[in-house]
Amino acid sequence: MSKANPYRLMQGNEAVAEGALAAGVRFFGGYPITPSTEIAEILSVRLPELGGKFIQMEDEIGSIAAIIGASLGGAKALTATSGPGFSLMQENLGYACLTETPIVIVNVMRGGPSTGLPTSPSQGDVMQARWGTHGDHPIIVLSPSTVEEAFFYTVKAVNFSEKYRNPVILLLDEVIGHMRARVELPPWSMIETVNRIKPNMPPEWYVPYERSSMGVSPMASFGDGYRYHVTGLVHDIKGFPTGKPREAQENIFGLFKKIERGFKEVCLVDYLEMEDAEHAIVAYGCMVLSARSAMEQLRADGVKVGMIKLGTLWPFPRFALEHFLPQLKTILVPELNMGQIYREVVRVNSGQAVVEKINKINGEMISPDEIIKSMRGLTR
Amino acid sequence: MLMFKQVRLSGFGGQGVILAGTLLGHAAIAEGKWVAGSNAYGAQARGGNATAEVIISNQKISFPHIITADLLIAFSQSAYNRYQADLEGEQTMVVYDPLLVEVDQQKKIRQIGIQATELALEHYDNKQAANIILLAAAAALTGIVGREALEKVIHEKVDKRFVELNLKALSLGWGLGEKLTA
Repeated sequence: MSKANPYRLMQGNEAVAEGALAAGVRFFGGYPITPSTEIAEILSVRLPELGGKFIQMEDEIGSIAAIIGASLGGAKALTATSGPGFSLMQENLGYACLTETPIVIVNVMRGGPSTGLPTSPSQGDVMQARWGTHGDHPIIVLSPSTVEEAFFYTVKAVNFSEKYRNPVILLLDEVIGHMRARVELPPWSMIETVNRIKPNMPPEWYVPYERSSMGVSPMASFGDGYRYHVTGLVHDIKGFPTGKPREAQENIFGLFKKIERGFKEVCLVDYLEMEDAEHAIVAYGCMVLSARSAMEQLRADGVKVGMIKLGTLWPFPRFALEHFLPQLKTILVPELNMGQIYREVVRVNSGQAVVEKINKINGEMISPDEIIKSMRGLTR
Repeated sequence: MLMFKQVRLSGFGGQGVILAGTLLGHAAIAEGKWVAGSNAYGAQARGGNATAEVIISNQKISFPHIITADLLIAFSQSAYNRYQADLEGEQTMVVYDPLLVEVDQQKKIRQIGIQATELALEHYDNKQAANIILLAAAAALTGIVGREALEKVIHEKVDKRFVELNLKALSLGWGLGEKLTA
């Protein structure tokens, strides 16, 4: 047994908490819920040690309100929840989108709808993460598929939210949240962190929603001496409500443009054995684990199958698929929902390859064997 | 020595099944192995089914769930009934508490009863130590992790108030397991 063992046995939720701290999150407002509870539990101990703040709110409506307020006050802020709590957060999620307040919401998905299957895995909130709050808006949604990724994607989620002044949703599923695995994480000093751009002009010159050439406006922290107005109404560049079509268009288009500019950066995709693949499995979250195992066994049997692993779900990384469509005969999309990303794949595929799905909504994983069976049926 | 890699611990919530599984995982990490695992439990704080799956390997593990178990540590009758069918052949073993589990005598694999609950009550007046007695006995019987690693993780991971109790339980369980291998 070596003295300096670099490896740790870590749980997915623990990795999220570690990642949040490494990324500079110093405020957590939340309401514990299975299967995300460990994130709150760990941060309730660690944040005060690091001079941060942990507050258990009365519910999830209060939780997201608290992190929005903390972020406006200058802190990197995060909350963690599961489906029922995520539903309650939808109204204020829209508020964070329109006010361009950087926040990170971790949703460790469990079976739904409603209270559902509290301790079982699901991927049922993919579309809710995209469209749960009303009104047309862009959103960034990341989905890690290993414990290590849970750490690194949390760092990325915080970085993206700071860089683009946009809410970022980290969608875990119960499998990734609760699985334990051996990990080796870098020291915090090795981790790249991004901080929001702050105004460098005197307070009287500050125009809070005037976009820089990068499409994002500098963000003053409340208490820094910069007075500005924050509203959920569509607003002009000074932050005050407007009903003028030109200003309304500029406001909403601006939200889309900043994410379009960063499209390639925020799209995290990995390709496994895709060079010569004739068949592809498109997978994310815990389905990557089953798919990888299935792929290894199919490859051993000579089936030319690869995997397109989606780390980002929204904006949908359509280029990842488009690049390989000319060489693909079939695409298989295993999901723990009735086919929420499957429909995106069908849309991008536009009739080129044969697209099939495997779905489960009973609280069980789709096993590698089920994927193998389905793939064999398709490749026969 | 048999090669035990996929371990399932199962019983009721509150028996320390998940803790025992987590300690087993940490111990294997301390020995430099690859570990993956997960837990399944009901929505209740106590009384529902609780199962821990731990996979230990010399290489990276791509799938964190048990495909075929090598070792079942059964803390309840329902756990035994549900998972015993997974175990087949000479390379597998069940370790159970006879106070809580009546095993199928027809089953042709090694099934080893350890009086964990009774011993925990007798020695420590605390049945909560039964999980460590069972885990230690199973580890001594199978060699899946070493005693030193288990001691180390009990020091590191268990609440200070219970370290001493768990170390005693480890020693007791290990001794029983060792006797049965001899």
